[in-house]
Amino acid sequence: MPDTTGNYTGPPPVARSPITTVAAGRGDGALTLTDESSYGKLLVRAAATGPMATALGTRFGRTSRDAGDEALVVGSGPGEWLLLADVAELPKLTEWLEQQAEADPDLVSIVDATHGRAMMRLTGHAAADVLAKLCAVDLSDTFVPDGGAFRSSVTKLVTDVVRDDAGGASTGDRPSYLLHCERSSGQYLWEAVADAGLEYGLTTTAAPT
Amino acid sequence: MSRLARQSGEVIDRSQPLSFSWNGKPCTAYAGDTIASALAAAGVRVMSRSFKYHRPRGILTASFLDPGCVLQVDDEPNVRAGHRLVTGGIQVSSQNTWPSLKYDLKAINQLAGRFLSAGFYYKTFIKPQRLWPAYERVLQRFVNAGEISPGTSAEGYDKRYAHPDVLVAGGGPAGLAAAIAAAEDGAQVLLVEEEHQLGGHLRWGSQDDLDLLAELRDRVAQLDTIEVMTDATVLGRYDDNWISVVQRSVPGNGLGPKERLVKARAKALVVAAGLIERPYVFQGSDLPGVMLSTAVRRLVNLYAVRPGTRAVVLTANAEGDAVVGDLRRAGVDVVHVEDARRGGDVLRASGRGQVRQVDLANGKTVQCDLFVTATGWTAPTSLLNMAGDQPTYDPTAARFVPNVNALSDGVFATGGLCGDGTAEQLVEHGSATGRAAAREARAFTLAFADVPTRPDDARTLPQPGDPVDVPALEPARHREMFVSQTHGFVDFSEDVTTKDIKQAVAEGYDSVELAKRYTTATMGTVQGKLELMNTIAAHARATGKSIADTGTTTWRPPYAPVSLGALAGRIFEPVRHSPMQEWHDRHNGQPMVAGAWIRPDHYGDAQAEARNVRENVGVIDVTPIGKLDLRGPDVPKLLEQLYVNKWQRLDVGRVRYGVMCADDGVVLDDGVTGRLAEDHYLMSTTSSGAGGVWEWVENWLQTEHPEWRVHVTPVTTTYASMNVAGPKSRQLLERLVDGVDLSTDAFPYMHVRTGTVAGVPDCVLWRIGFTGELSYELHVPAGYGLHVWEQLFAHGKDLGIRPFGMEAQRVLRLEKGHFIVGQDTDGLTKAFTAGIDWAIKLDKPDFAGLPELRWQAAAGEYPMLVAVQTEEPSVVPTEASQLVDGNRIVGRITSSRMSPTLNRSVCLAQVESRLAEPGTRLTVLLPDGNRIPARVHTHHAHVDPEGERQRA
Repeated sequence: MPDTTGNYTGPPPVARSPITTVAAGRGDGALTLTDESSYGKLLVRAAATGPMATALGTRFGRTSRDAGDEALVVGSGPGEWLLLADVAELPKLTEWLEQQAEADPDLVSIVDATHGRAMMRLTGHAAADVLAKLCAVDLSDTFVPDGGAFRSSVTKLVTDVVRDDAGGASTGDRPSYLLHCERSSGQYLWEAVADAGLEYGLTTTAAPT
Repeated sequence: MSRLARQSGEVIDRSQPLSFSWNGKPCTAYAGDTIASALAAAGVRVMSRSFKYHRPRGILTASFLDPGCVLQVDDEPNVRAGHRLVTGGIQVSSQNTWPSLKYDLKAINQLAGRFLSAGFYYKTFIKPQRLWPAYERVLQRFVNAGEISPGTSAEGYDKRYAHPDVLVAGGGPAGLAAAIAAAEDGAQVLLVEEEHQLGGHLRWGSQDDLDLLAELRDRVAQLDTIEVMTDATVLGRYDDNWISVVQRSVPGNGLGPKERLVKARAKALVVAAGLIERPYVFQGSDLPGVMLSTAVRRLVNLYAVRPGTRAVVLTANAEGDAVVGDLRRAGVDVVHVEDARRGGDVLRASGRGQVRQVDLANGKTVQCDLFVTATGWTAPTSLLNMAGDQPTYDPTAARFVPNVNALSDGVFATGGLCGDGTAEQLVEHGSATGRAAAREARAFTLAFADVPTRPDDARTLPQPGDPVDVPALEPARHREMFVSQTHGFVDFSEDVTTKDIKQAVAEGYDSVELAKRYTTATMGTVQGKLELMNTIAAHARATGKSIADTGTTTWRPPYAPVSLGALAGRIFEPVRHSPMQEWHDRHNGQPMVAGAWIRPDHYGDAQAEARNVRENVGVIDVTPIGKLDLRGPDVPKLLEQLYVNKWQRLDVGRVRYGVMCADDGVVLDDGVTGRLAEDHYLMSTTSSGAGGVWEWVENWLQTEHPEWRVHVTPVTTTYASMNVAGPKSRQLLERLVDGVDLSTDAFPYMHVRTGTVAGVPDCVLWRIGFTGELSYELHVPAGYGLHVWEQLFAHGKDLGIRPFGMEAQRVLRLEKGHFIVGQDTDGLTKAFTAGIDWAIKLDKPDFAGLPELRWQAAAGEYPMLVAVQTEEPSVVPTEASQLVDGNRIVGRITSSRMSPTLNRSVCLAQVESRLAEPGTRLTVLLPDGNRIPARVHTHHAHVDPEGERQRA
């Protein structure tokens, strides 16, 4: 957390989203794009089948909400996980991860990527239609059901795509996708998704403050 | 022509009249009218002039394929007027006619027709070659391709991907039935239809046909697993059923694109392309008023247009018989029906500007203003050909037919393409084919049941099901009717006649593929859909071969012309910005493109920015510097392998510079790596090399040394990075940094600390200096980057702080003699050439590039990077200027700038080793041809060679 004691006497730090320009929403809310970059993000590397993998409760390609409170664990690669949680939860989550790591004989690393990634959520009946304009992967329920996660090119950008319908619970059972990319291209990805969603009446929502 | 009373199958909406202009004159239409049908209803018969001879042309097919209806609409050339719907206010005009469509002076080409035969261009304009530019200017005036404005918007084109289980190409009765059956069998279906409505020939059929069509459409509408695309064409079929589709109009609320390219990966493809009615070749067959039977049936039944007043019909099939009924119902006087099944034939049609009479083969002449032919069908097998099929010619049916029982896996055919039958038989065949396709799609899906995105407890995917018996659908017998006894146009798009084909064969083009290219038959706007069979028949007649022996030309994608905009689709160009970009924008930061990064090149005066770093303090945004987080006990082994220098003994809190080489010893990248904790390191790379180095590192870890316990995570943009440089940099940071003693003794050069900057914890501070000044590189959690950056300026006003950009940094590093990988090195620069002999440890047991560097050291005589100063200090040689010895090139300037510190030019250069000694006189050949003297400087650094400033 920011520290305002010591030599520094200026204003307290304010974290900013990588998505700095959010055009006004124009749709009816049935299809929404929301900036969720402020979520805490932890990258965990460990053996794909070791104790840490067991503790995290999921594997490459799938998500779980079994680890920690309110954390979404994404199997983002073989032996690689991305944990998403409220940023205030990160210290507790990190401590829990470090405890699990001690029980794992293989090398475990935990890297805080909160500031290094941009993240947005696309929710609505037409969400897959929007993504079909940006990504070549088959998003049908057969191949990417709720809880499915993959890394692919979205708008020619390396992007983690996570289907997390539960995360979009306030909008019912419509598909909800988290798009997670490297921070510096967050604004670019946001604009590309927003533009692709225009014909479907996309509503854009800025990051909560 | 005129508008008829309401027809039971009409597609026009009489409640929605529309206005448009035709060659500048007002015209009316109804919603649902094509441009051609509206013009026909208005009595327009001549709609265009032909490609070469500028002969008058009108409606032939009343469809997308109509070669006589290629028009300019507003700013869009080559619009298929037989297909494009009228929208209010459009301006339609004929193309390449002067002074008017009616009186086109270029029609004089008809008089020179005997000189414009096959190969005319090749023979006439080959010599003398020097005149080609003049020829070209003249020929361009004859190009019949409409006009496009340079200001035409490129917006409105899009692309999307689709993954249907079954893609059905063609929405006629068989295609509709296939789509319905596949969907009812559980498949997701994409149904693609070129016309604006589903139904194919049922649309202009009997009441029974219309009733059947209504039922099929209703069933399609009730199945939400069928996505229907009308006004869309399947362009090509590639390996593994990768199928491209162009949507020429996209339904929606007006926010959608004009056109869209759909890239579909279908698990099964059903080709239900139907049949294309082909013209008959005879003298005068291109006259306005000579139409195919399907054109007449469309005009009458879909658009309620009376196509003439006095008609002659040449019929060889049931469609021809049906058109007689349509014409009579429309009030047209059918004065003669020539039945080809009983030997009837035509010799010629004639008339000025349009057909006026027909001479029959039996010697009879009939006056008319409409001559309708129904002489046979072409099976558009192209998608099947693209899938590997080689249709065979059936002389009893007078068309090529596909080998439906030997198609590639996942490819099916149905409908008229396969054979003929009643509407019910076509539906039955389509239904069975659709079910078979759905089952093959399920079998395909089963093979991917274990993709990682599916849960472990996912429900079992359905089994394919039992094989489906598809009933036979045989082609009906049909008289072979391609070319009559008289010469005529084989290709209406390119104005190619049977005489041209005959001449081509006489000149040795006895292969139809070669004759096609020589004459350009089938190479025009219709791309062979109408002309192919007649071209083959004419060629066969000229060679004396059979049609079967002559064979076909090759069907290649795209099946139909597609706009370049649709092919380009939505264009993605990822860009990257640092967290401080908005500050740069507000402070006159002049953007430069560096790979995908947008970086400030300068803020108005790069020289002043560089001077300020030497005198006060400056800050540069270096966020793009590559950063890799390295963790694990074997990181030192990794670093030893990657870098040319030694890394086993790097204490916590220390930073070391290193150079990486590829296996060939060529410099790959450079940067510093700091040890943050016992098993935790942070590596920096060049900005452009960040991605490549990550891959390089992972390659060593995953394939060469998987036993090493190291994890690598790219964290380039986890941190906002800024370099605070200048003699007052420490003074500035003392106002902002907590938890780190910044004194020289506590935090010396080439060390790393972590601490709090401007209230932001977990910042990494490196004391390094690319600029040669006392400097600190701050790596701040990126969300706080702008805050820290702004606080640097807020707290540094009295110290003279100002930002500096890439250009100032390049000046400062050049003054200091630091090379840039890729600027001062190239794809041949091995490490010793780069002048880093001090860092290369050939006594290490191994590192990437070691053998090559040993050989380089042993061989000697390699180019060397040296600092160079021109004898005339005000001259800055252009980068890449040659260094010459007489006429021999002995090196090149790799970097050059005017130094604001020394007030003279400074350079780095690669020179032959014999010229690398300090003081050696060199000659620089400038781009303007002048030669200037220069000397090798004593040290790479032009400024502060001892490094006192950066160690202060």
